[in-house]
Amino acid sequence: MLSYDYVKCSDLKQVFDVLQIHDHAYLLAGGTDLLVGMRGGKFAPRLLVDIKGLEELKVLKENAAGITIGAAVTLNQVAAFEPIVKSAAPLAAGAHSVGSYPIRNRATLAGNLCNASPAADTAAPLYSLAAVINLLGPDKQRSMPIGEFFLGPGKTALQNGELVHSILIPKPYPAGKGVYLKASRTGSVDLATVGVAVQSWGGKVRIAVGAVAPTPVRALAVEKAVNEGGEKDWTKVAKLVHDDISPITDLRGSREYRYHIAEVLVRRGLELTMGV
Amino acid sequence: MTKKVIVNFTVNGDHETREAEVGQTLLRFIREELHLTGTKEGCEIGECGACTVLLEGKPVNSCLVLAVELEGKELVTIEGLSKNGELDKLQQAFIDKFAFQCGYCTPGMIMAAKALLDRNPNPTDQDINVALSGNLCRCGAYQEIREAIKASAIK
Repeated sequence: MLSYDYVKCSDLKQVFDVLQIHDHAYLLAGGTDLLVGMRGGKFAPRLLVDIKGLEELKVLKENAAGITIGAAVTLNQVAAFEPIVKSAAPLAAGAHSVGSYPIRNRATLAGNLCNASPAADTAAPLYSLAAVINLLGPDKQRSMPIGEFFLGPGKTALQNGELVHSILIPKPYPAGKGVYLKASRTGSVDLATVGVAVQSWGGKVRIAVGAVAPTPVRALAVEKAVNEGGEKDWTKVAKLVHDDISPITDLRGSREYRYHIAEVLVRRGLELTMGV
Repeated sequence: MTKKVIVNFTVNGDHETREAEVGQTLLRFIREELHLTGTKEGCEIGECGACTVLLEGKPVNSCLVLAVELEGKELVTIEGLSKNGELDKLQQAFIDKFAFQCGYCTPGMIMAAKALLDRNPNPTDQDINVALSGNLCRCGAYQEIREAIKASAIK
């Protein structure tokens, strides 16, 4: 049995106080990555700080600023929230493709991001939607584009004592189509071998690719060719994804396969969002 | 010494107050403290679904929940489905359709399916596939499992 202490917090002040005095304290929201990581020896917390009871972190709402998703909101809630289904389709699809239905009843969007896997299924969709991450510490709050939050595998911009408070999908939403296309070894309960999010609006696109670099990346060369060059040959333009990715070989796929499938998924994403 | 915490909860309709060890998973607590051994341990990393139970009416992998998180919650295990010695309609359908071979995945399959039927009384094949995507059957009884679920759906 694992040995550590546990505290269930009822407000954010308590969370920050606890984080300040304890070394090796880990935040517990859904726990679906944390408990697996603890069992495998990846994490060795001395204290688990349960934050999923905090009302403030359960917020899931749409207002003038956009869609706000609190840190304790589960992936099943995200995938079923009508404004997300309607206006942020890649995120609904990405959230729905994580793990299995029971896992998504526990796993949170914020947790998927904080785990900072380059293959996180919700990350590429959030890049394609220009999402903003709201961080909160004991003294200050700050916000940053999702692209600045991811620093590397397992590494984020979170500082000691800080937590992800919420994720914002800002308005105006891209008034076009959005998709998340995932290649994986099995239909569920697997990370992406490659995941591609494509969001279009008014003849332009934003494209992000997961599991092909130390962090999710934007396919900037493809975007430039479409958005500025007016390129309409999707087969040709999809090859440009190679400029922005640096995949590795691992148990889910070889480097060469990832180059190939990233190109295929970008082409399909363009076809689905921009028309054939 | 392992720290213990008092937890109050409901299991299969009965209120309980027990001591849970910090660090103990809900799965171990169910099997070793509540002695409800219908819930099975498979992978212990949330990939097989053999330990699926209903927490607050929703299916979860009990290997990925801590026992101390049970405080104030309602838990239903496979033992909670039969009433007055009568099997639940879904359990009977699993028997009638031979929806298992070794039976190890069956409690988890039934709990995931029970939750599906509670929220969607007449699911399609695709609904069933999504709802049971986290439950592995190494004997390969998937077709019969789908048939059992459809047989107990409200037509």
